[in-house]
Amino acid sequence: MRKTKTSLLAAVLAVFMILVSVTTACSSNSEETGQSSNSPTQSAAPQDNSNEATTYPIQTDKNLTYWAGINSNLAGIRSSLDEVPFFQEWQKRTGVPLTFISPTAGQQKEALNVMLASGEMPDVIEYSWISFPGGPEKAIKDGYIISLNELIDQHAPNLKKYLEEHPEVDRLVKTDTGNYYGFPFIRGDESLLVFQGPIIRQDWLDELGLEMPTTIDEWYTVLKAFKEKKGATAPLSFLSEGRLAALGNGAIIGAFDINQGFYLDNGQIKYGPAEPRYKDFLATMSKWYAEGLLDKNIATTDQKTLDANIISGATGVSLGNAGSQLGKWTPLLSEKDPRAVLAPAPYPVLNKGDVPRFGQLDNAFAVNGTAAITSKSKNPELAVKMLDYAYSEEGHMLFNFGIEGVSYTMENGYPTYTDLMMKNPDNLAPAQALSLYIRGNYFGPFVQDKRYSEQYNVLQSQKDSIEVWKTDAKSTKLPPITATPEESTELAKIMTDVDTLVNEMTLKIILGSEPLSSYESYMKKMETLNFDRAIEIQEAALDRFNKR
Amino acid sequence: MKTKKSGLERTFDICLYAVLSVLVVVTLYPLIYVAFASISDAAYIVAHKGILWKPVGVNFEAYKSVFANDAIWSGYKNTLFIIVFGVMLNLFMTSLGAYVLSRKNVMLNKPIMIFIIITMFFHGGLIPFYLVVKGVGLLDTLWAPIIPFAINTFNLIILRTSFQSIPDSLEEAAKMDGANHFVILFRIILPLSLPIMAVMTLYYAVDKWNGWFYSSIFISDRDLYPLQLVIREILIANSTEGMTAGGSGNDLFQIGETIKYATIMVSTLPILMVYPYLQRYFVKGVMVGSLKG
Amino acid sequence: MRPSASPSHAGKPVKSKEFVVSRLVKDLALNRYLYIMMIPVLAYYILFQYGPMYGAIIAFKEYSPIKGILGSDWVGLTHFQSFFESYYFWRILKNTLLLSLYSLCFEFPAPIILALLINEVRNKRFKSIVQSVTYMPHFISLIVICGIIKDFTNSGGLINTFITYLGGDGQAMLQKPELFRSIYIISDIWQGMGWTSIIYLAALMNVDQEQFEAARIDGAGRLRQIWNVSLPGILPTIIIMLILRIGNLLSVGFEKIILLYNPAIYDTADVISSFVYRKGLLEFGWSYSAAVGLFNSVVNLILLVLANRLSKKFSENSLW
Repeated sequence: MRKTKTSLLAAVLAVFMILVSVTTACSSNSEETGQSSNSPTQSAAPQDNSNEATTYPIQTDKNLTYWAGINSNLAGIRSSLDEVPFFQEWQKRTGVPLTFISPTAGQQKEALNVMLASGEMPDVIEYSWISFPGGPEKAIKDGYIISLNELIDQHAPNLKKYLEEHPEVDRLVKTDTGNYYGFPFIRGDESLLVFQGPIIRQDWLDELGLEMPTTIDEWYTVLKAFKEKKGATAPLSFLSEGRLAALGNGAIIGAFDINQGFYLDNGQIKYGPAEPRYKDFLATMSKWYAEGLLDKNIATTDQKTLDANIISGATGVSLGNAGSQLGKWTPLLSEKDPRAVLAPAPYPVLNKGDVPRFGQLDNAFAVNGTAAITSKSKNPELAVKMLDYAYSEEGHMLFNFGIEGVSYTMENGYPTYTDLMMKNPDNLAPAQALSLYIRGNYFGPFVQDKRYSEQYNVLQSQKDSIEVWKTDAKSTKLPPITATPEESTELAKIMTDVDTLVNEMTLKIILGSEPLSSYESYMKKMETLNFDRAIEIQEAALDRFNKR
Repeated sequence: MKTKKSGLERTFDICLYAVLSVLVVVTLYPLIYVAFASISDAAYIVAHKGILWKPVGVNFEAYKSVFANDAIWSGYKNTLFIIVFGVMLNLFMTSLGAYVLSRKNVMLNKPIMIFIIITMFFHGGLIPFYLVVKGVGLLDTLWAPIIPFAINTFNLIILRTSFQSIPDSLEEAAKMDGANHFVILFRIILPLSLPIMAVMTLYYAVDKWNGWFYSSIFISDRDLYPLQLVIREILIANSTEGMTAGGSGNDLFQIGETIKYATIMVSTLPILMVYPYLQRYFVKGVMVGSLKG
Repeated sequence: MRPSASPSHAGKPVKSKEFVVSRLVKDLALNRYLYIMMIPVLAYYILFQYGPMYGAIIAFKEYSPIKGILGSDWVGLTHFQSFFESYYFWRILKNTLLLSLYSLCFEFPAPIILALLINEVRNKRFKSIVQSVTYMPHFISLIVICGIIKDFTNSGGLINTFITYLGGDGQAMLQKPELFRSIYIISDIWQGMGWTSIIYLAALMNVDQEQFEAARIDGAGRLRQIWNVSLPGILPTIIIMLILRIGNLLSVGFEKIILLYNPAIYDTADVISSFVYRKGLLEFGWSYSAAVGLFNSVVNLILLVLANRLSKKFSENSLW
């Protein structure tokens, strides 16, 4: 028997060795490609030191390959980017012919992974590079993509100008060591950064003669009234994936002067659940739950349950986005109950008159759709010139409004979408029609214009929401810091356990299956998980960011 | 005596039919739910709570928008190709392997069996697999979801077990007549194994039908997308996550929920039809007849 | 096994080696056509299954896509250590095993019973209806199935309506740790029973009809026939399925778990795969998940070998 085993092992090993040697030969190719990476950065230094603006269309006989996902709005309308009018116009205007490669929707990560492993890279890859393992810095260091500092300096006057005028954005789009790694997607106006907050049944408030609630105590009164007088079975309900996901940006919990995850407090990194005030938050939530003010199924509430709650009138207060929630619920609800009115409500605070310190606020640099140039590109210069077009005046109009006379017309100096966009004759929804002609309604390497959302958000409540949901989150929001590759592994290891612990504690205490007093014992466990180290890593990352 | 026994028999039958009827009702529900939801009015489905007894606000919009998508048709075509050639290859390879491994007195069968079983537990992961498929030159062809998946080890083992239960006497008799192994396999073993071959056909066909992950990695030419990949893109496009974060998109959401169910119907009904067709191979007594003959 | 590798093993007793070699040569000659038939099958396994297998070494490396699998740095057992030392290691291991064992006890026999019952139905039409309908839930995507489960189990759902009607107390069932395993297993049975029963039905078709007749002549009732004829007839299939199932004891997929669970029931619902999934959300843990996968595979393989040995001892059936 034993002999059998050893000989089996020997056989397996033999096969293995052969295969390894075979595959070594195969994969050495891909390694070489990785190593040859650094040279283009230098060789890219142009012979003609022309710092002047490029004239479009560029005269070139070269062709670039461009890797980018197809926006989901286009699924079923066009099967490849070549067929999309926007991308056709873009090539025409820049004069650079592009060959598009698009991964399957939802499979970008896997597709990128095998593409990089196989060593065959296109010229340009549009991806959320900030989420690349080890960060964009590592992608450059390891020779995937190239640092664009010189190229932008010499061949991208439009982007350069924008970043010079907006130093706060400039800080976001480069790495800790100051490398530019891609052409970023920038939200060009503050009003584009706020799109989430509390939503309330205004008609119920009016009917019951209640004021718009602003403090936690007023929320309590309102919820109680909704439950008792309006028969709401789940007066407050929101998405709860993980640990009450909808509170992730600081709604409700922000009233207790903390946030769900890491945040900034006077320049210091803090972690909400580790702060003593987290206990107050838990006390309030568990009280609401016990009194039936919070959805009974709060631990399992998903999008579908929430939709049903709102539209059936079981819920009077929720949290959501201006587009995907307020915009969806309003028409559905009024179909069922014509008097129903949904309105944005301010983030609650503890004391009347306080300005909420926490709330949803996006960074001007949105991580999606950063166009980076790969080390395999033979024409990085051309690629940079091509990409820079988007940040020019003309390019800005193309990306946000499309083609004049087709997708928009100028009315009193205001680019107005045509009926082809907003009331499409082929019955395309505006989101779909827009995706054919612009990129302004999703993302990409350009600066987003607020005049897009002004026209796209048609409901009054959506327009109001930007003002109502304003908070002081700028002072507490953690910038997009990146840990070093080694630290990020360590951080992830610690935070997986910490998250599990905190999620579990939070829900158990709120649901009443464990008493509030167990909070302390959980905090003791958290210390054993080496949580202090996590804070240390985050602080170091913040330091590096601040020094940019 | 006799009456008592048939009384017992009757009780048994009543229980049998009762239990199975309940089972039918209970297992039918998810399909009915999907079917009803797919032809309901999106606005009502979103607001709906509890059991769905009937479609709410009948509406065929979702189907219209699914079928308006040209990619669906090329998806059906590609999937059909993958199933026809894929399952043929699967059945051929699997019966070859199962036949050899079910023979007795073959010295190397045991090590080969272990060699094969090991592959059920150890995998190299996506990237090495991708590199092999690329090396063989199958990338971006419809053979990519076929050849690298020629054998499913689980199915191979099941088929081998079934072959083993066929009496040796048949093989011996054929050998006497001078039949070689191919003849024995295709003329004797396979005709005797129609029910299990039907199962194999079904299991492989369903695998091919539902498979999308490797196609998404190996095929980048959108004209070659199989149905499930097309369906997936439609589903993602109509899910909330698919909507651009932060942007707005009130118009698409409403129909999204019913489209989800319509695409499920479109992508499952054809394959559901396969089984009733294969059921006719589930015939008892094939064995007895041939043994006697 | 002995013969295949023996040429490379010099340390073995000369006598047995020669004996084995000569036997092997004879065997190769005698069964040459069988081996020739096996060539395409073996070629498939070598190329597409063993070919990529070197990738498993990333479990011992810090995989970086750029450096490639072979070029990444070795880190030894770091990932294994980090998994075993995880604060929640014992809990997720326990939950995985318990869920698997419950599934073995309740989910495994269900399709067998269903097949035996269907086999007893004399009415052809009813029989084919039962078969076709019970296998349908297999085709409904997990997301929809889990949506229905959530719908049924929430505080105002079907099951609770029923319980309240009977005078019980309605509750959000997926927030109760003690109910999770039952919900998981029952819904699994619901979805998969018909599909798996097809294998057993096919096996039942091969049971010799004469045995039924003989049993009937002996005056055996239906239940007795099931017990004495049908069940033994499909026993080889059952045992092989059981061995394969045991070889999967540590594999509880994450998809259904993450669709159903929430932190309030981590106590019973969090398993190895869901834990690794959560970890993967925080980082690209290729190497880590490869290490966990390798651990699972090794344990599963050991269990399979044990099950196979036991089966060989107590029945005639075995995988090899």
